[in-house]
Formats: sequence, structure tokens, C-alpha cells
Amino acid sequence: MDIGIADVCVRHAGGTDALTDITLFIPAGQICAVLGASGAGKSTLLRAVAGLVTPSAGRMLYDGDPASRAQRRRIGLIPQDFALSGRASVARNVMAVARIGILPSLAGLYPPTDRARAAHLLASLGLEESQLERRTDSLSGGQQQRVAIARALLHRPALILADEPIASLDPATGEATLALIRDEARDLGATLLCSLHQPDLAHRFADRIIQLDAGRVVFDGPPAALGGNRIPPRIRAVAQ
Amino acid sequence: MNAALPWRFPALLNARAVALLAAALLLLWYTGQRVEIGRMFALSGEAVLAQAGLAERSQVADGLGSTLAELVPIQLSSRREISRIEGFDPDRLPPFAHIETAATRVSELNPETLRREERTVRTAWLVEPFGYAVHVAAKMLETLEIALWGSVIAVLIGLPLALLGARNVTPHPALRAASRAASAFLRAIPELIAALFLVIAFGFGPIAGVLALGLHSAGFLGKFYADDIEDADPRPQQALAAMGAGRLTIWRSAILPQVLPQHIACTLYTFDRNVRMGAVIGLVGAGGIGQELKGRFDLYEYGHVGTILIAIFLVILTLDLVASRARQAWR
Repeated sequence: MDIGIADVCVRHAGGTDALTDITLFIPAGQICAVLGASGAGKSTLLRAVAGLVTPSAGRMLYDGDPASRAQRRRIGLIPQDFALSGRASVARNVMAVARIGILPSLAGLYPPTDRARAAHLLASLGLEESQLERRTDSLSGGQQQRVAIARALLHRPALILADEPIASLDPATGEATLALIRDEARDLGATLLCSLHQPDLAHRFADRIIQLDAGRVVFDGPPAALGGNRIPPRIRAVAQ
Repeated sequence: MNAALPWRFPALLNARAVALLAAALLLLWYTGQRVEIGRMFALSGEAVLAQAGLAERSQVADGLGSTLAELVPIQLSSRREISRIEGFDPDRLPPFAHIETAATRVSELNPETLRREERTVRTAWLVEPFGYAVHVAAKMLETLEIALWGSVIAVLIGLPLALLGARNVTPHPALRAASRAASAFLRAIPELIAALFLVIAFGFGPIAGVLALGLHSAGFLGKFYADDIEDADPRPQQALAAMGAGRLTIWRSAILPQVLPQHIACTLYTFDRNVRMGAVIGLVGAGGIGQELKGRFDLYEYGHVGTILIAIFLVILTLDLVASRARQAWR
């Protein structure tokens, strides 16, 4: 799925601008990292693309069309705070968006294809079969993050929105998990829009880096063009 | 360290709070006059003083004391005239039962001779030592069954009402308003009054009780379920909505797991309440232990009333324990 973002502004309830005049085109299948300091607008950008915040101005197009229910079904979202149902089991969370009737779902009778896909994803993410029945809020933060990743990838989305998907993981696991998300995106031919706090990881994994500062795009291009990644974005913004 | 930042903290007791408090006190004083709160305290105090031997006598203590004294000994046995028992077989008595016979002399007018004649009448009684206790247990069971089915009807009506009446699940705001209004309407009809009319419609017996309890508590569950659903953490719901999930998918995956413990606690409370109310609505003929209580009370059979009150007390105590255990288990 390709994403067109045209002159999008997002205003907070207090009246301050979270995003100002964002214009981006992300072609289908591109692996895109969003960088920026805390409060730069990374999450807001992802939430706007996910339709969780309504832009005060501008337009958002998915494969050239405005958002619709059918297109939302092709989105996989990994929220920053996981947004899992804590009391529900791991299995129920991972199967949350499985296309299944109400009674089979209450009885836990998920289709075999969904079971196979969920098992594959959870195993790749380092979770075990014995954890399927566990209450999600009894898992560690890192395990919950991986459940959220599996939930977002289950229905083979065409657009993956990952809001700091490895923030709760140790560096080694984080890198492996990021690689897994990217490989899944490549296999599915999906677009990946992923906010990160680690510029070095972004350099290695992404086709394209979008750097935000104070709600504006201050860099947009391939990783090689960003050059040294140790310069704080505010200083770079001043330099430009 | 900042020694003296000029911060002002809001005072809890500001002018508005004081005015509200004064208004509340004024309201209490005015309404207290009308419902004779002063006399209530005077009479109760007199009763307490009389018990402690500090006052001569108390109308309240005397009245209550004499009635309560009649509740004991409680009635456990039953005694029925055998000639009035259909298909009585003296070889097959109920367990622990025995037969008592009594001879009484009666004088009757003989229609042929037109003279008074004395004759001996022998009556036989079937005495069951726990007959009445068993009868009360059966009536109590009927009340429990009425409460159970009242609660089932409440859930069957309340859950759809809640799904239509919760902002985050309802298909349309107009349906939400309609559902909330329906819940409020059902809640607004007290069980006892509903039972009065339903007894006219369905006749004496448990049907009126089941419907009266079911409709009233459906209004409660419709509101409580809907409030729980609206209070559920919105983040999982938003995440699923962003992935194109429909209302029912969001309900089953993101809302139900969160609210299920509250739903269960509400439902248990409804059942608990229906058992207590089930005892009351029997007073207007809607079946169960209340109907028995009303009958015995009107006949001044306070020993029977004592048995019934103890049965109600024991059942409600047990139910309370079981319900709190169940709530713990589902936390």
C-alpha cells in the first residue's frame, strides 16, 4: 500500500501544533524509519496515518484513496503502549483481528490458517506455546511488545505502522525483532513505517529515513544521505 | 532548594463548598421535621433506656418485644387431619411421621328426631416433626428458582440493551439514547409494583415473580453493563479500530476481556438482590417464600413466621458468602 500525505497538520487540544505541513509520499513496499527526539511528532505522525488522530488540515491517501474500512483492514498497527487487552490471554490478543464470527471466537475456534500464522509469528518472536493461555498482563513488557507485533502481522497487512516497536526490548532482541518485522514486510510486500529512537538501527534497516523535529520534517532521504547520525536534530535544523 | 515558591494551593473548603454544605443541612433540617426524625430518636432512646432499666416503660420496646417473643419457639412440625389428605396410605407414612388420634364429644341436632344428641368423633392427625421446615425449604427453593430465572431474563434483556446503549459499541447515537431510556424505564418500575400488575395478568404464582424481577433488574444490568463497556480502556479498542475491526470484533477482543469481571460481579449482585426481592414480592402473591410469610403473618402464626425469617436469613447469608467467593475467583 502506498501512502500519500499532503499538507497535513495535527493540532493538540491545547492549541499547539503537533505536526505542521507534513507532505510525504511513501511508495508501496518501502521500509521507512521515522526518527526524532521525544515530542518531535513521531508518534503523532504514525497515529495520524493509522487514523487515530484526525488532522486539522491536509489529506491522507491510501493507494490513492481516502481511508475506508476495507483499507484499514490492510493495516497492521503496533502501538507504542501495545494497547493489548491485559486480562485476555495471549492467544485472544493475537487473534484479535482474525476474521471470524462472534461465537467461534468466544469458543476459541480460530481458523487453521490463522492458528498456523499466529504460531509461526509467536515462535519467530521467541514466545512459546505454553504462553498462549497466559493472561497478557502477566507477561513482561518485552513479551507484551512481541504479542502486539504478532497481533499486527497476523492478517498479512499491506501497511505496517510500528510505533517504537522495540522500545521495551534489550538491544540484541530488539535488533532481531526489528529484522523480523522488516523481513515480514518484505515477504508481504508491505510498506513499513516505523518510528525509532536508535539512529544507528535506522541506518542499517531502512530504505528511507524521515527525521522530524518540532512537528516538521527536517530530513527525508536514504540513510546514506543523512551522514553522521550523532548530530542532535535541533542543531541540524539550525544548520539547515 | 526553593525555600519559598509563591504557590497557592486550592483550598478544599471554599465559599461554594460552604454554601453547598449549608444548603444540604437546611434540606436535612426541613425534611427531618416532616418525617418526624426527632420523635424517632425520642422513641428509640426511650426503648434503649427502658432496656437498661433507666426508664419506666417504652411503647416501642413493649410492642416489638411481645411480637418478637411470639416468634419463638419456631414452628418445625406440621399436623394435618388425615381425612383431608388425598390418597392417604397408613402403611406408607413419610419419614419420622406418626399418627395421633383424638376423640372429641360433639353435640349435634339430629334432623330426624329434632333432638340434640351427643356423639364421639375420632379424628386422626398425621404429625411430621419436620414437616413445616421441609415445607419452608421447598418454598425457599421456589424463591431461589424465581430469582435465578429473573436474573437469566435480566441478562438476556440487559446485555443487548447494554451493547446498544454503550457509546463505544452502539451502531447509532439514536439507538444509544433509546436503549438508555428503555433501561431507565425498566429501572423506574419497582418490582413490588410490577408484581402487583403481573399477578393480575398471569395469576398468583411464580410467573409474575420471575417477570417482575427480570424486567426490573434488566434495567439495572442494561445500565451497569453499558457503563462498564464505556469505561473500558479505549486504547485496545482504538488499535483494533485502526486495523479495520468492526464493532462486534472490538467488543469481543478489546472490551469483553476487560469488563467480564465487572459483568460477573454485577450479575451476581443482581441474583443476590433478586433473592431478597423475591422474598418481598411474594407478599403480593407472586410465589415463593413471601407468599407463605404473608399468609402466616395474616393468621398471627408467629411461630411459622419465625421459621420463615430464619430460613430467609440463612439463605441470604450463604448466598453472600458464595457470591463474594465467586467474585474473588473471577477478579
